[in-house]
Amino acid sequence: MSMDHHHTTLTDQLTFPEENRIATAFFAAGFAGIALSLIGLFVNTEQFFFSYLTSFTFIASLVLGALFFVMLQHITRSGWSVVLRRIPETISYQLLWLGLLFVPILFGMEFLYEWTRAELIATDELIQHKRPYLNIPFFIVRNVIYFAVWAFLAYKLYRNSVAMDRGASDAIDRQQRVISAPGILVFAFTVAFASFDWMMSMDSGWFSTMFGVYFFAMSFQSVLALVIVLVIYLLSKGLLTNTINNSHIHDMGALLFGFTVFYAYIAFSQFLLIYYANFPKEILWFYYRFEGSWIILAYLFLIGRFALPFIILLGKKAKSNHKVLMGVSIWIILLQFLEMYWIVMPILHQDAISVHWLDLTLLLAFFGVSAGLFFRQFARHSMVPKNDPLLAESLNKH
Amino acid sequence: MSTMQKTYGVLAEFANPADLMDAAAEVRDAGFKHFDTYSPFPIHGMDDAMGLKPSKLGWIVLGHGIFGLLGGVALQSWAMSIAYPMHISGKPFLNFPAFVPVAFAIVILLAAFGAFMGLFFLSRLPRLHQPLFNSKRIAKATDDGFFLCIEAADPAFSEKKTTDFLKSIGATEIEIIPE
Repeated sequence: MSMDHHHTTLTDQLTFPEENRIATAFFAAGFAGIALSLIGLFVNTEQFFFSYLTSFTFIASLVLGALFFVMLQHITRSGWSVVLRRIPETISYQLLWLGLLFVPILFGMEFLYEWTRAELIATDELIQHKRPYLNIPFFIVRNVIYFAVWAFLAYKLYRNSVAMDRGASDAIDRQQRVISAPGILVFAFTVAFASFDWMMSMDSGWFSTMFGVYFFAMSFQSVLALVIVLVIYLLSKGLLTNTINNSHIHDMGALLFGFTVFYAYIAFSQFLLIYYANFPKEILWFYYRFEGSWIILAYLFLIGRFALPFIILLGKKAKSNHKVLMGVSIWIILLQFLEMYWIVMPILHQDAISVHWLDLTLLLAFFGVSAGLFFRQFARHSMVPKNDPLLAESLNKH
Repeated sequence: MSTMQKTYGVLAEFANPADLMDAAAEVRDAGFKHFDTYSPFPIHGMDDAMGLKPSKLGWIVLGHGIFGLLGGVALQSWAMSIAYPMHISGKPFLNFPAFVPVAFAIVILLAAFGAFMGLFFLSRLPRLHQPLFNSKRIAKATDDGFFLCIEAADPAFSEKKTTDFLKSIGATEIEIIPE
């Protein structure tokens, strides 16, 4: 019998086709979004910054999740994921300029963060107590550190991976693990504190030690969905069809399923502890997010982000069914945006959901530019780490 | 050994995992259903090569899990609202968020029981006698031997033809295993 299902060499076209205009299309959409949003900046400045923070945290969560995925593959020396690793690597490469996108938020701090307002600092005892941490200079220093660390990790891991395309190197391969191991530790702390700074501190009286894990759980679930969407997109264009097989897709589906449960576990644990203790300072955060029509979103996350994907992805066949996975993944990414919206926006619109056109134009701006940058970068190098020492193992995956 | 004894099957040894996997695919393509492979370690891709259908174990586990969920919620609902209704910081008697951890734990417990007992059931364990152990050679399957056994229970089985067939697909040793 022939061993045609075994191969150790790449037989596909390895570069993303240049004639594919998808990057240009996304850039066009992104710039349209930017232009419209700039009008909104003058029409409704406060709304602009809240919508900006929503879309920023949405994109940041995806990009950070991708960095974690890449580091996880390196420290576990995962062979299976090599054929699709360039996709999360390219997503995480955006961390190079994510810090620039954070700069506008610094100009809207008086709207977003009540602890920067002079009248509250003077009268609110709780904010006075938190001043050593919640003050503008330290906030900026912390964020500079976060973005510097992430940019370093993403840049090194991406560049090393691309360098290995020119020839396998055990030294570089080893360096990937040497970076990733402490990288994951630093990542855990920086992401947790970034989520405290960006979102938790908006309600300066509220605290949840689980918030960092909660943000991470959402971001990792969403980035698994995003990688699945991109893989299936490439396959549907006839790219990498002999490289990425159904077994890779199945494992991504299994990870998405697993981290759907992890997300639910973390999100529910955070809620249950606060709900059960029912202390005023803690419960208010949920109180505002269950107020009026905001409760609809809370139920949507419970059913749409946990129960439905859990039931749909429970069976083995569904985990490698392209249509099912594509649908569930896009849905989860959409809910990730809505969950960021649900975390950020009740501070501004306390009584009910109030959709503003800036929410959409800024999402278009962020998503268009990020997707455009992704596809531009993705076309520059091989779509597969073609000389990775574990490539053969990945190609032979069953 | 008496000649009256029934045959359990034909055991064939192969040189290495790749040969075994190719042989399994040949046996599958020849239409055999009652056969199994034995190796010291799991061989990736063997399920496909043997044409095995996905295990039914998942359905058993799912059944137990659903039963655990319903039972866990029912138990707490009964205990907390009928048998021992207690006011706990002004919360309702039927306080579903608070029921989740216990219901979750019972789902895990029963699903694990289902997986454990279901595996025994599907593998027909405990089995007091396994005819394969009539072969001395089979002990190598825990060390360095790669075996395939076509059982006499298979409708396509014929001692002579099956032996020749296994030889033709590259078996290094052949042995008839008595029941």
